Amino acid sequence: MGILDSLALGFETAFTPVNLLFCLIGVTLGTAVGVLPGIGPTATMALLLPITFGFDPATSLIMLAGIYYGAQYGGSTTAILINLPGESSAAVTAIDGHQMAKQGRAGKALATAALGSFFAGSVATLLVALLATPLSRLALDFGPAELASLILLGLIASITLASGSTLKALAMIVLGLLLGTVGQDIGSGTPRFTFGQRELFDGLDFVSLAVGLFGVAEILRNLEGSMVRSVVVKKVQDLWLTREDFRRIRMPVLRGTALGSALGVLPGAGHVLASFISYSTEKRAAKDPQEFGRGAIQGVAGPESANNAAAQTSFIPLLTLGLPANAVMALLIGALLIQGIVPGPNVINEEPGLFWGLIVSFWIGNLFLVLLNLPLIGLWVKMLAIPYRWLFPAIIGFAAIGTFSINLNAFDVYAIAFFAVLGYGLIKLGCEPAPLLLGFVLGPLLEEYVRRALTISQGDATVFVTRPLSLTLLVLAVVAFVVAVLPTVRRKREVVFVEEDDGSRPPQPAQAGTGDGAARR
Amino acid sequence: MKLQDARKDLLAGAVFTGFGLAFAVTASTYDIGTALRMGPGFFPLVLGAILVLLGISIAVKGFVAGEGGDLGTVPWRSLVLLIAAILFFGATVRDLGLVPALFVSVLLAALAGRGVRVVPAVVIAASLTALSVLIFVVALQLRLSLVGPWLGG
Amino acid sequence: MPRGPRYDIARPRRSRSVIGLAAATLTLAACGGGGGGGEDAAASYPDGDITFVVPFSAGGPTDTVTRLIAEPMSAELGQPVVVQNVEGAGGTIAAGQVASAEPDGYTVLMHHIGMSTAPSLYSDLPYAPLEDFKTVGLVTEVPMTIVARNDLEPTTLEELVAYVQENQDTVTIANAGIGAASQLCGLLFQQATDTTLTEVAYEGTGPALTDLVGGQVDIMCDQTTNTTGQIQSGEIKGYAVTTPERVESLPDLPTTEEAGLPDLQVGVWHGLYVPTETPDAIVEELTAALQVALTDQNVIDQLAELGATPVPEEDATPEAHTEQLSSQIDLWQPIIEEAGVSAD
Repeated sequence: MGILDSLALGFETAFTPVNLLFCLIGVTLGTAVGVLPGIGPTATMALLLPITFGFDPATSLIMLAGIYYGAQYGGSTTAILINLPGESSAAVTAIDGHQMAKQGRAGKALATAALGSFFAGSVATLLVALLATPLSRLALDFGPAELASLILLGLIASITLASGSTLKALAMIVLGLLLGTVGQDIGSGTPRFTFGQRELFDGLDFVSLAVGLFGVAEILRNLEGSMVRSVVVKKVQDLWLTREDFRRIRMPVLRGTALGSALGVLPGAGHVLASFISYSTEKRAAKDPQEFGRGAIQGVAGPESANNAAAQTSFIPLLTLGLPANAVMALLIGALLIQGIVPGPNVINEEPGLFWGLIVSFWIGNLFLVLLNLPLIGLWVKMLAIPYRWLFPAIIGFAAIGTFSINLNAFDVYAIAFFAVLGYGLIKLGCEPAPLLLGFVLGPLLEEYVRRALTISQGDATVFVTRPLSLTLLVLAVVAFVVAVLPTVRRKREVVFVEEDDGSRPPQPAQAGTGDGAARR
Repeated sequence: MKLQDARKDLLAGAVFTGFGLAFAVTASTYDIGTALRMGPGFFPLVLGAILVLLGISIAVKGFVAGEGGDLGTVPWRSLVLLIAAILFFGATVRDLGLVPALFVSVLLAALAGRGVRVVPAVVIAASLTALSVLIFVVALQLRLSLVGPWLGG
Repeated sequence: MPRGPRYDIARPRRSRSVIGLAAATLTLAACGGGGGGGEDAAASYPDGDITFVVPFSAGGPTDTVTRLIAEPMSAELGQPVVVQNVEGAGGTIAAGQVASAEPDGYTVLMHHIGMSTAPSLYSDLPYAPLEDFKTVGLVTEVPMTIVARNDLEPTTLEELVAYVQENQDTVTIANAGIGAASQLCGLLFQQATDTTLTEVAYEGTGPALTDLVGGQVDIMCDQTTNTTGQIQSGEIKGYAVTTPERVESLPDLPTTEEAGLPDLQVGVWHGLYVPTETPDAIVEELTAALQVALTDQNVIDQLAELGATPVPEEDATPEAHTEQLSSQIDLWQPIIEEAGVSAD
């Protein structure tokens, strides 16, 4: 069957009224749960799984998939508006997106996220349609050694997430890596740093970390000052992007889409790495890197595109090989099994309608999402007008319920408190939270992959350099490290104080008139 | 006055060193293994040691440069109330049920605001609790009991 | 934002209305508190939502089996059955929660072979499988398959055994983590072939299978639920199934007995459990519903797709399953101990 015939079949399947309707339901629901802190796409899909039993398999998958990529759109909304990333990838969006919101540019940030996501989602969908099989073969070449090298590259890139002291950023990454080791060791089963609490065996929950470190810590910062509310005292400027804005986001969106599409295919961390590496790339590529961390529109455009492209291409291993790249994909396998379809390479031949219908529905879903999200921007921006004394207790309440509901585990709620205190304290001491978050997400994977690579090679450490792909990634990591550290070194030679000065700045230094500016000389 | 000024970096260094030590010491009680055959303790032990070094470097650099800046105000009252709100929810949601646990938590959180008085805080807490039940229980159909066993629910 | 109308469409078919569901939740809460009331409660049972707690993630094999039987059981009991995933610590979190839940029949645990291995793996388990639970019955037994990356030389199980014995030092065997069925089967395989292989642990079956398909690891033993699609399409090599009978969906695979490794007999059984204080009358109700569900044609067909079959009626009883559970605990204890595996 040629690609055109296949696509025709896909359109035929996806364009039935029922499938269009459930695609719309899926993406709308996804947006909603993405916006609510805590409860994410996985929990929602699990909740809705039973009702899909009665559906046609294609309808069921179209809706469930819609929830997943819809949540990627919604997740960036809370990240931008209240500095509360619902997913690891949205944490990057929060860095500059929330600064933009504070400067009255929330509308622009949201529009950038929506447009970038739409472009990336559409391109990535096309890639899935045209290149799914070769890409999945390529992904299989990534063994533990390659993945370990890739993660090292990502960690080094994350140094640039911080606009302040490199030393502190490094320390935050390492602290994140360490916090990520809490829980049962995969290889030996030894529970680490769990204080005998069985609830901690599966580690600290990412949502708790994000809510505490970003959301609650931000609330505390806002309650510091004399100002009544943090989020935007400034008047909200126009919601739409100017010609100049379009010019600035063009390349970031393109690069983000490329990065996201490529990394999304990889198992495990691809999706997270995509947005972090995109941010780091944009910061390097920008003419005004100092702008990053203070509301750079490129810092929203790149990662958002990367994140959405990756969300789309992460379906590739599932669709072509029946292998799940992450927890959400594993859930979709369950949905297929319940429908009596055994996921695997045969699905494309045995159920072409399902396969191509789903792919076409991605594109339709992305269209729905952009049509849904652009008009909503006005509404979201109005939400910022809610008095802060109402807004922040709501954030606390929603976050607590959402976090608890994932596993009905009280420890996940306690962890919010722990991370709030830790995050707020560290922010006060001039350390920025984003590198810690990346370390936390990637740490367990780094350890897992390194140890697995060594186990498989029977303890031969040369695997990391004798495998060409791994070697290439390691070389890139070294280059990235040099690039990240060099300017610091050079700058120090020139102006001794600059670096230290940077380090003393709180991470969100942009808002004028909050007193933070005084710390800068 | 150097020490005074560098306070922030010294503190940051101390925090990192403390965490690094805590992790490294605990990790050393696990099976360490070797670099090529890592046990569960290896990775955290090495990282803990690195964190200690980084912490010391930050402190030393801060001390030498003497450029710490001011810590600024810490809203202690708000901090305590917010943390209490979160902990209370976690500790009681199962036994008190969603409605009472959430109401008290949101009330505590609302009181963390500057110059918020009790009556408006109660209004905020009651409305937000109702809204949450609507969103999470009615709309999203989460399986949380509204009133728990402690209240005979 | 979520609004009413959309949920009218997306709502579970069983529930009557949004209000009804909210009311049902309230009822559930009410039952939760007043439960354990002995005969009175048993007589009116069931009159509210019943929660099936699954100790693993949504979409996994155990979850799939649970959801398959939940529907016909719900129809039989006349009340909604809600599946809730409580992940953590190899399923011991969920089991611990159910062990201390109200013994009123509204909280039911679905667990698999891990129910019998947890006491050997965890030194301070907060519950005892036999003492703290009543069994409702066995549900199904999912066969396991011995598989390998598709460029591994051996083509038959016999050759594979010779191969691993020859290359003990380099052969790697993947598993989905401590206490996972794939690890248990891997232990049995090593015992049966008298080898010590390099075990490579993964966090779940998905990544393990990915590396097997990618040729990063050599062999694995996992449930048909996970491997059937890959074996059928030739992404991985299948050598044998570990059950006495061949599997319908993989007719070419010999049983381990046929292929000369009769000691390797293992299946991932699934069972239903309630807290030990639950009145017998309620357990009987649940057992009866389970037995009906297992004769449901849809359940039989779907399980067949997964390479599994429902257990015969005489095994889906509390007595039979209690006996099986106790013998399984005794079977695994020495194997796990000898292999030096521990989860804490």
